[in-house]
Amino acid sequence: MKQVGVTKFSIQNLLGPIIILILLTHFVGGASTSLQLITQFALCLFVMVLALQVFVGNSGVLSFGHGAFALIGSYTSAILTAPVNIKDNSLAMNQLWEPLVSPQVNVYVSLVVSAVVSGLVAGITGSLLMRLNGLAAGIATFALLGVAYNVFFNNKKIGPGSQALPGVPWITNTWILLLLAVLTLIIVYFLNISWIGRTLRATREDAMAAPALGISIFKVRLIAFTISGAIAGLAGGMYSHVAGTFQVQDYYLEFTFVTLSMLIVGGSASIWGALVGTFIITAVGQVLLMMEQDIPVFGIQFQIPLGSRAVIIALTFIAMLLWRSSGVTNGKEFRIPKLKRIS
Amino acid sequence: MVQSILDAISLGGLYSLAALGLGLVFGVMRLVNFAHAELITIAAYTLVLTTQFPLVISLLFTVIITVFVALLMEFSIYRRLRGVNPAIMLIASFGLSTVLQRVYELMFGALPRSAVVAPFLRGDFKIAGLSITISSVITIVLTITILLAMGYLVEKTSLGLQLRAASADFKTARLLGVRSNRLISAAFGLSGVLAACVALILVIQNPQISPYYGLNITILSLVGIVIGGIASLRGAALGGFIVGVVLSSLNTLLGNGRVYAYSWLFILVLVILLVRPGGLLSKGTELERV
Repeated sequence: MKQVGVTKFSIQNLLGPIIILILLTHFVGGASTSLQLITQFALCLFVMVLALQVFVGNSGVLSFGHGAFALIGSYTSAILTAPVNIKDNSLAMNQLWEPLVSPQVNVYVSLVVSAVVSGLVAGITGSLLMRLNGLAAGIATFALLGVAYNVFFNNKKIGPGSQALPGVPWITNTWILLLLAVLTLIIVYFLNISWIGRTLRATREDAMAAPALGISIFKVRLIAFTISGAIAGLAGGMYSHVAGTFQVQDYYLEFTFVTLSMLIVGGSASIWGALVGTFIITAVGQVLLMMEQDIPVFGIQFQIPLGSRAVIIALTFIAMLLWRSSGVTNGKEFRIPKLKRIS
Repeated sequence: MVQSILDAISLGGLYSLAALGLGLVFGVMRLVNFAHAELITIAAYTLVLTTQFPLVISLLFTVIITVFVALLMEFSIYRRLRGVNPAIMLIASFGLSTVLQRVYELMFGALPRSAVVAPFLRGDFKIAGLSITISSVITIVLTITILLAMGYLVEKTSLGLQLRAASADFKTARLLGVRSNRLISAAFGLSGVLAACVALILVIQNPQISPYYGLNITILSLVGIVIGGIASLRGAALGGFIVGVVLSSLNTLLGNGRVYAYSWLFILVLVILLVRPGGLLSKGTELERV
């Protein structure tokens, strides 16, 4: 199976997804309060899927470890912005390590810090993990997620333990989240057409030929893993500010599965695929949720039994894979559809 | 002390059975079947829900149902994904695992179901002043029996030869006359039987069955087959055994720090992988596009 990827700058490849993202945010997010919240969460998830696209999509190596980076980003951002009196009194933070109690920064600064911290962790762990190849690499990143989850869940000095961490300041303005998402999209786009993206895809297509051409697989994968870890950290930070709270369990298996399936349903080789995948999975989930609660969808009322939503989402996902294993977009970037002339 | 060692060996044996189930399927179609967890879960549910019958009948039911679910997976989904990038198959099996978990939740409820399976296997007995639980001895005996049976099957029978050939090189094996559909179905069936055995041992130790019952052991055996050497069945069994022994020993040795047992285990796994990227039993490094 040959996958594709852009190498040359093309204005429609870049602007297409951005315009569609803005339109979706404007029309869907503006429709009602509940849809606004869903749009905000979807924007965070989109940033996360972009993070996965940079590494998983370009290198072809599965990573289950990005949940760990999102978790670290989320926690960093939450701990830097939660008010001190909440830190002293909440169950999640009352045993916090002393130096972590007093720092207090602006929400936006905290997002930058969380990206930097996650990027650093990704860089350090990546310098070990990226020596591995193939399936071993995937399982090893899984070990990373396992360690992060285990430590944060049990150690209340540096993590929140099993409790939800309260009092994280909200970002309620959808446009700020949209701006962050668009900025990330632009960064990822230029990364994908740069030498990093191109060499990384070369290692994906042929792990024998790429080194023969002078590409160090370890080096390009490490660079991509670090950047992608930083973006995942940003996504985690955004997520905790939209939810206003944060729990370790939020970033475990289900999160990993949902974000990876968004990437793969859309088509892991392109940014456009990341957007389409995030939209499809979010939309299907939302429509089914409304059906479960017996709320009419587009004026049609159709009830499904409680609890069947997750089954249908996962079945949809499998059906998509059976139908088109390289994703709905086939891994291609956005293009304006050519209209066929009617003769 | 003796009890801890027996526990370590029995957990190791259990994990090697689970790892072998995963390894069989991986060998023939490069699929890491995450939904193996749900085979163990359905087997455990069947065991617990059929306690009104004699143990032998209940076991028979369990094996039939588990093998049926395993074959159903293969016919309905994996058969259509053959030849697709292994990463995509892994993600698909993740999806299937979610589907089955939710289906179990709808069928059996989210709360744990429990019943006493084989009550005569509980409790402990004394040898030379040492008190030893019956279940750990039974586990070891069962595991060794099953591993020997599997060993015989894989090493001495024609089916085993085909399985090994397919693990080594599927394409060439097909060219030499191995029927791929039949072989893959057989591998799935066998992995179902192994899942039923794992479930039996697990249920004796912990009869609280929830929809996520098989998840933990599957994740850990997955880690096991990678450190053992994913390319061979022996490697898979060895890796699973190591993970079980290490986990059990960590639980004994760490005392109050045992909540971090998983962290230490995963760190050990990373170290092993860094020293031997292809697994303990690998011969040289192989490049694989996953």
